[in-house]
Amino acid sequence: MEELILQLKQEIINVLNLEDVAPGDIADDAPLFGEGLGLDSIDALELIVLMEKLYGIKLKDPAQGREIFKSIRVMATYIHANRTK
Amino acid sequence: MSKVNDIYILAAKQISVQPPLTDEWMDAPVSYGKPYVRSIDPDYKLYFEPNAARRLGKILKRALVTSRQVTAAIGDAKLDAIVTATGLGCIENTELFLDTLARKGEMEAMLKPTHFMHSTHNTIGSLIAIDVRCHGYNSTYAHKATSFECALTDVFVQLESNRIQTALVGAHDEMTPTHFTMLKRTGYLGHAVNGFSGEVALSMMLATTPKESTLCRLRGVEVEYCPNDEALRQMLNRLLQRAQCSWEEIDNVMVGVSGQQANDQIYAGICPALFPGKKLLRYKHLFGESYTASGLGIYAAAVCLSQQRIPAHLFVDRESGEQRGVKHILLYNQLEGKNHSFILLSACGK
Repeated sequence: MEELILQLKQEIINVLNLEDVAPGDIADDAPLFGEGLGLDSIDALELIVLMEKLYGIKLKDPAQGREIFKSIRVMATYIHANRTK
Repeated sequence: MSKVNDIYILAAKQISVQPPLTDEWMDAPVSYGKPYVRSIDPDYKLYFEPNAARRLGKILKRALVTSRQVTAAIGDAKLDAIVTATGLGCIENTELFLDTLARKGEMEAMLKPTHFMHSTHNTIGSLIAIDVRCHGYNSTYAHKATSFECALTDVFVQLESNRIQTALVGAHDEMTPTHFTMLKRTGYLGHAVNGFSGEVALSMMLATTPKESTLCRLRGVEVEYCPNDEALRQMLNRLLQRAQCSWEEIDNVMVGVSGQQANDQIYAGICPALFPGKKLLRYKHLFGESYTASGLGIYAAAVCLSQQRIPAHLFVDRESGEQRGVKHILLYNQLEGKNHSFILLSACGK
């Protein structure tokens, strides 16, 4: 799980072009939206594409994202349980 | 006939292949011995918070930085309009998602939304409006080599007729490696018989009321498609007549010669007869060729009028020294003998 969390942080930094942010700057349990990283709705779209592209997880209901993208740890747990690649 | 407004260029800023956001090219122009050159970007960290800049491609960062700098020229006055000229729009982002589709075989649903959202031509004008908080008129002109002249005509008519009092006019184009390769294959750029390709980010603030920092006056714009010699002469006469300026008053004519032999030969065929006795100036040897390069021509002429001098390197004949005291500069651009335009600028108070 720790390896997946680190990989996920790196992918999010790359995909969202978070310059000046290192994996160590993102707390595992900090909120991704609003506070914490301060991501927004366009980032949510980017994360949905990331989930499908890298892990084969297709989120059919965008409302699901609200729960899944709560924090890096919640996201990693969901990926671990549902990934198809 | 009701009185029409005078129009002033209050400020102009560029990011191009010359040092950015300065007029250093007047005294220390940067030369390039290669056919493909990209702009010299300023340190964008000085202008954007990292989180605000992370989605912006270079063309958007350049547009926002130059726009912010010239918007300051109107002080507390309201910005009435934003008019943008771009030949290719946000081509880098367009290429990114098209490449993902075509070359990597990704499905449409897997495309990065940011690249798609920031790929249209009017993304530039829209983002400027959000950034400078302008809810007024917003329009984008994408007509290849006459994009800038069309944008300028729109603003000129609206300012002259008092529909608006201030307007931000921009010329924005980037030259990606892919697009340059395509132009090279067609023989348009990239060979010994061509000039070099550049990129453009130019923002100009126009207004009906002058400020202390005003660069010059914009007296008129004329654009025409495929005029014959007589129609071209009439076009020029019409411009001068409307501006109430005589041919004898024009100091110099700035033309769009670029080193591209085929197009320069058209200038060589037209200029001696159309502009007898006038010394020709150039600007594309500094800024390179691009769809909206003529925006940098008007910028170069405006700086010369503001500083009341024309540096020696701007003269086509390369034998003239620096010229002091300049009142009126006529700009003439044409591409492939089809799209012709005249723009007349005058020093303030002339």
